[in-house]
Amino acid sequence: MKYIIEFSKTGIICYTSHLDIMKVFKRAFKKAGINIAYSQGFNPHPKMGFAQPLSLGYWGLQEYVEFETAEENMDSQAADAHPADPENLLAALSAIMPEGLELKRILEAPWLKKTLAAENIAAEYMIEIPLGSEAVQTLNDRWETFMDQPQIQTLKKQKKKKEPILIDIKPKIQTLDFQCLNETLYINALLDAGSESNLSPELLITSLLDFLKLPVCRSDINVARKRLIFKEDIQSRLYPDVIL
Amino acid sequence: MIDRELDAILKRVEKPARYIGGEVNMVRKDPAGDMVRVGFAFPDTYEIGMSYMGLQILYHILNQDEHIYCERVFAPAKDMEQIMREQGRRLFTLETFEPISNLDFFAVTLQYEMSYTNILNMLDLGGIPVRREDRVREQQEKGVHYPLVIAGGPCAYNPEPLADFVDVFLIGDGEELLPEVCRMYRDAKASACAADETEAGGTELREVFLSSLCDIDGVYIPEFYDVAYNPDNTIKSYTKNRAHAPQPVPRALVKDIEQAEFPVHNIVPFIDTVHDRAVVETFRGCTRGCRFCQAGMIYRPVRERKPETIIGLAQEQLRNTGHDELSLLSLSTSDYSRFEPMATELMGLCKKQNVALSLPSLRLDSFSFNVLNEIQGYRKSGLTFAPEAGTQRLRDVINKNITEEDIYGAVRQAIGLGWEHIKLYFMIGLPTETYEDLDGIAEIARNIMNINYEIRGRKGGRFRVTVSVSNFVPKPHTPFQWEPQNRPEEFIEKHNYLSGKLRIKGVTFNYHETFTSNLECVLARGDRRIGRVIEEAWKSGCSFDAWTEYFDAGKWTEAFEKVASGAGFENGSSMEAFFNYRRFGEDEILPWDIIDSFVTKEFFKSEAQKAVRETTTHDCREGCVGCGMNQHTECFVNMERS
Repeated sequence: MKYIIEFSKTGIICYTSHLDIMKVFKRAFKKAGINIAYSQGFNPHPKMGFAQPLSLGYWGLQEYVEFETAEENMDSQAADAHPADPENLLAALSAIMPEGLELKRILEAPWLKKTLAAENIAAEYMIEIPLGSEAVQTLNDRWETFMDQPQIQTLKKQKKKKEPILIDIKPKIQTLDFQCLNETLYINALLDAGSESNLSPELLITSLLDFLKLPVCRSDINVARKRLIFKEDIQSRLYPDVIL
Repeated sequence: MIDRELDAILKRVEKPARYIGGEVNMVRKDPAGDMVRVGFAFPDTYEIGMSYMGLQILYHILNQDEHIYCERVFAPAKDMEQIMREQGRRLFTLETFEPISNLDFFAVTLQYEMSYTNILNMLDLGGIPVRREDRVREQQEKGVHYPLVIAGGPCAYNPEPLADFVDVFLIGDGEELLPEVCRMYRDAKASACAADETEAGGTELREVFLSSLCDIDGVYIPEFYDVAYNPDNTIKSYTKNRAHAPQPVPRALVKDIEQAEFPVHNIVPFIDTVHDRAVVETFRGCTRGCRFCQAGMIYRPVRERKPETIIGLAQEQLRNTGHDELSLLSLSTSDYSRFEPMATELMGLCKKQNVALSLPSLRLDSFSFNVLNEIQGYRKSGLTFAPEAGTQRLRDVINKNITEEDIYGAVRQAIGLGWEHIKLYFMIGLPTETYEDLDGIAEIARNIMNINYEIRGRKGGRFRVTVSVSNFVPKPHTPFQWEPQNRPEEFIEKHNYLSGKLRIKGVTFNYHETFTSNLECVLARGDRRIGRVIEEAWKSGCSFDAWTEYFDAGKWTEAFEKVASGAGFENGSSMEAFFNYRRFGEDEILPWDIIDSFVTKEFFKSEAQKAVRETTTHDCREGCVGCGMNQHTECFVNMERS
């Protein structure tokens, strides 16, 4: 059976990479007596994955992990203790999660044909940049003109080559809202995500800091992923009550 | 919760999860009130320290006491250290992010000598003066509180090189000793508070507490002993300046480890560590008596856990951690008296639960082969042999009980079962070694290659042999403790010689860095005067000396040079040579004579003499060899006698 868990990752545990969080889930499944299905082949790997990896240091408020259980070889004892009922699974897993990983809900997902990663199309982020009173004065809401640029060019590292290339990120920004409160700039950004078109908030942050000529250290900026958005049929399965 | 500053620091460092704690099974307590707070420090990075089982054992035992909170401290990697220094951030524990300067104890484990500069660095990063005398003085003059620095582990069997920095050394098994020390501290603190509130927490408490520690086995307090030296720089005398300080200091001994606590709620690291697995200690000690091996001497006698206890612990650990690998811990896995039934049962259990079983250091008899074949299946890792020396003559000298026939027989079987990689471990620079013994190393590698050609034909498949050579370091509390070590040029010549001899198709040759081994010897056999060298080296920037990429031989040479004349030596190199290249006198007072390991000096002497005569000593399970241990305790507790 396929399942999807919705969870949040907040606080200091955000300094644990998504691969390591995957292992946290893997061990939790083992502890809870849930037998994960394995892929076939010479190098079998467990059938589980995140909808979208979350960068190191980001908070994630609405994240997803999907997994498939191997019913046929499920340990009968464990099956008795934790019947595959989602509510029971949720309770069993929640009890053993480390602080900062909160499981919101779990749903059976027999309708999921591809992976969630393949169905992901966008992600919404909250970016928090501390400005200080001086910068608030001199900038005078200049961020509002950021999207007025015909192109938003920034350097992107390439996977294999050494030289970064200039790319235009503007088409990948779906919406961008700014709000300045208590000398902090809050940016709500809806960005392309997934395999077809993807924009890392890091590129947006770099180009925005350039544009504003802001000497803010990257380490003073916080980013939270508020939600992930999927293709319509999946989105309506995940959120049947929400009218799109 | 962490503060904004630490949050910003974590965004700038590599592998920030090293510094955040919060792992599954981490212990959370309210540190307020009269809690005794212990920072258990491993002087290396998180990944290395978290693979050390002793930490998990002592963490578990200490935290069972509701009045003790044991937290973890590791050496921050260089990038983290730099940012911490820039920002004035003090070294903190992973449990509560408390600066270590606020704790009652900084308890550091001494697992290898090359971690010594990291200890100084950690103290300094915690805002704690590295020298004990400076801490005491500041406490007296300004009333500043500093934690007591305590140190234990195998290297504490020669505590002297660290005597300037450490308040209390704990020698021997720590399971009972460490919690006892914490409880005695709590008592001393309570009575100090009751006696005089103004003095509480000051120097008086320290004196009262340290004095009270003299009453228990396993405690060495360096300031209670004065050392005098002869003109030739050997030790003239140890004189205790407290009447009731023990001389020598007897080691602590847990007589029956079956009764000792063992953790089942192990902390599960988020990030990959050297070993991510459930681990159960099957027995402590070793009966084989290899003459170079310190662990084989200081962990005596052999004490076993019962098979049902081991299996129960394994199951519970797996259940509580979700680990998918289980390993057994001991000095020699298959020497466990009921190994076959236990291994069989564990194999079944692991198979059922999809857990990989890993059995290190097996003696390769037919049973072990079947076990290995079963648990490794298609993915066979390398098969490791440690003949340690290239000829039977030299193996007799070191009392390493393995013959070439053993190896070749096992190799034949291994090749038949599909193993394609044989790893061989040797030591060079052993006492009485000649180039003939080095030829023997190459001979063994070549013979193994030939066995493969014989079995699998002229091409031999993908079969390979790795020969790893380490440099012999004479260690305290071993029969070879008096032996001179090879000089760097001797080691280098031998490495070059072996490189030539081992230019054999399919054979890979590795060897250890020379100067590291020579320095390790000085730190292992040093006396109190070596403390200044460690301090100078650290001051000039040495840390992570166990990491080849950070080890700086030049800085150490300068440190010896700087310290030598003040310590009564002609120059730096003569000071170094005094501790590593010199043959220590048989009747000389050794720096570690202050510690009684319960294995007698007479035994070491007689073993050393037998070594020269190329005479072996049998495994003491076949009859007592008179090491002295049974004067203090019963040997072979819980063992099935055949």
